[in-house]
Amino acid sequence: MLNHRVIPALLLKNGGLVKTHKFKDPKYVGDPINAIRIFNDKEVDELMVLDIVASKEGKEPDYRMIELFAGECFMPLCYGGGIRTMEQADRIFNMGVEKVSIQTAALEDLGLISEVADKYGSQAVVISVDIKRTLFGGTKLYRSATSDTDKENWKTFLTRAVDAGAGEVLINAVDKDGTLSGPDLELIREANNELDIPLIALGGVSSLEDIRLAVEAGASAVAVGAFFVFHGPHRAVLITYPKYEELENLFINEINGRQTK
Amino acid sequence: MKLMEDRLNRANKMRKMCSRCIMDTSAINIRFDENGVCNYCKEFLNRSGSMLNESAAVKEERLLRLVKKVKEVGKGKPYDCIVGVSGGVDSSWALVKVVELGLRPLAVHMDNGWNSELAQNNIANLINALGVDLYTHVIDWDEYRNLMQAFFDAHVIDVELLYDNAMLAVNYQMADKLNLKHILAGTNQSTEGMEIPSNWNWYKKDKKNIKAIAKQFGSVKISSFPAIGTIDYLKYDLIKKIKWISFLDNLEYHKESSLKHLEAHFGYKRYPYKHYESIFTRFYQGYILPEKFEVDKRKVHLSTLIISGQISRKQAIEIIEEIPYASKQELEDDKEYFLKKMGWTKKDLEQYIKHQNVEHSVYGTEIKIIQNLSRIKRQLKKIF
Repeated sequence: MLNHRVIPALLLKNGGLVKTHKFKDPKYVGDPINAIRIFNDKEVDELMVLDIVASKEGKEPDYRMIELFAGECFMPLCYGGGIRTMEQADRIFNMGVEKVSIQTAALEDLGLISEVADKYGSQAVVISVDIKRTLFGGTKLYRSATSDTDKENWKTFLTRAVDAGAGEVLINAVDKDGTLSGPDLELIREANNELDIPLIALGGVSSLEDIRLAVEAGASAVAVGAFFVFHGPHRAVLITYPKYEELENLFINEINGRQTK
Repeated sequence: MKLMEDRLNRANKMRKMCSRCIMDTSAINIRFDENGVCNYCKEFLNRSGSMLNESAAVKEERLLRLVKKVKEVGKGKPYDCIVGVSGGVDSSWALVKVVELGLRPLAVHMDNGWNSELAQNNIANLINALGVDLYTHVIDWDEYRNLMQAFFDAHVIDVELLYDNAMLAVNYQMADKLNLKHILAGTNQSTEGMEIPSNWNWYKKDKKNIKAIAKQFGSVKISSFPAIGTIDYLKYDLIKKIKWISFLDNLEYHKESSLKHLEAHFGYKRYPYKHYESIFTRFYQGYILPEKFEVDKRKVHLSTLIISGQISRKQAIEIIEEIPYASKQELEDDKEYFLKKMGWTKKDLEQYIKHQNVEHSVYGTEIKIIQNLSRIKRQLKKIF
């Protein structure tokens, strides 16, 4: 068992898998069922599927697809996108999904987070925040459903979400999304300082070294998009995942690195 | 499972088999001479015998000429050739040799939604170790599934026409886009040179057939599916001078030793049978073809290997006595996965298998064009 989870983050749009670039220009990358099957065979320890248009278009989660995912997925599955009510969350948990990730509904009202946490436990509810950097390098809470920034300080918001019962925080660096330019380590550090629950860092990972750096900056788990679906200068779709030994070595070095500090 | 095996073997026993290879009367137009040798292996030897028995020196010379030409034509371009990759042994070996010879290929891959982890892993290991760039054409899965459904509803044999046609198209389109003149393919005589009986598959450049079936059975609009027709091919080949080269014919190609080399140096994992890099291909060749069409494609693959001296006839017979799957569980898993991907019930599959089969030529087809072209070619040869 590894000390840190490395989680493929798959983006869903109208039943197909896509990969975005800074939350824009979704490029079609294939059939989600086949991708999940490949990740199964690669013995990935957790998987995340995020529907990027459900909240935007005010649609309900695509239950038919989620049921197929849950049926195909051997590893713990986290689903996010379009969940607004407890009934919807119940339906998704009943299909065998282990965790739900909530953003848009939580930005309006943290009641849903509390309800899910009460019924299924905190470990089953992930609060998802997207963070956008301003021109001057500041950080703003971003609403992906409406593509604008929120006035509330994201750290205050996260504290409230954790108090409401969220068991994990998914923090996604908007400006890093799909860029393969390395994670926003400063953001991870800042978030980690605020939190005493597990932090999943998403955005920018382009190598094993980036995963190590994100963990070193304080991420408990690292979610990875483009790096696991694209290859090389043509962004050729090719699904990969590090070998167990590679991750093991990566984190052994990380621990040793810490001890010598 | 046992049932399937028994049934296959019973059917095989009732057929007459060639005394040299393992082709039998399930192949259309098979004829046997007084020694019981069939026309399939005879024709294969007539056509490819000189190539198979060519001396190493002659092959080498041909290969070096080809490499020189590819380098010249590709000078100053980011790549000098295209190598289509599937994760299978033939295309993997072609890529390895192409790089060893100092060429600068772009590897081209197609994703039709059925790629196996094995295939993805083999491709990743190879291109990383060789430092080769990759381009992937992803066909929209909804579109591809609708096309497959149309082919199932049409009850024609060659459902893989879709994959094979798209793969050809992607290679030509990419060569054209990058202004490259050479597609160095893993296609070859020594492991797949024997002609596939005409009742076992269909003409692979039949875009008209694909479109006709798509229209009749699902009004599928073709948009991300990269189809290629005879005329498109002639345009690429004759006007744009993009040449499809069965690259492995230019070197000594022995499947088993290539596999061992790939395993030892590139973390390659082999498949139990040919073309099993796609889960659908595995299910198609291992279940649909034998069950619905009573065709066992292994016969032509293995017969080719017998004639090219890579396995014995006895070994081949032992292989076809077993079902085309490594285990019962694997077949059941694939069946379940197939049903899920297609949105079928078990009953749908049963009905599909039971339904009467239909010839491709019942629908629109380009086969007449190709027949006329080869007649003209033959006549021209007679004149000159």
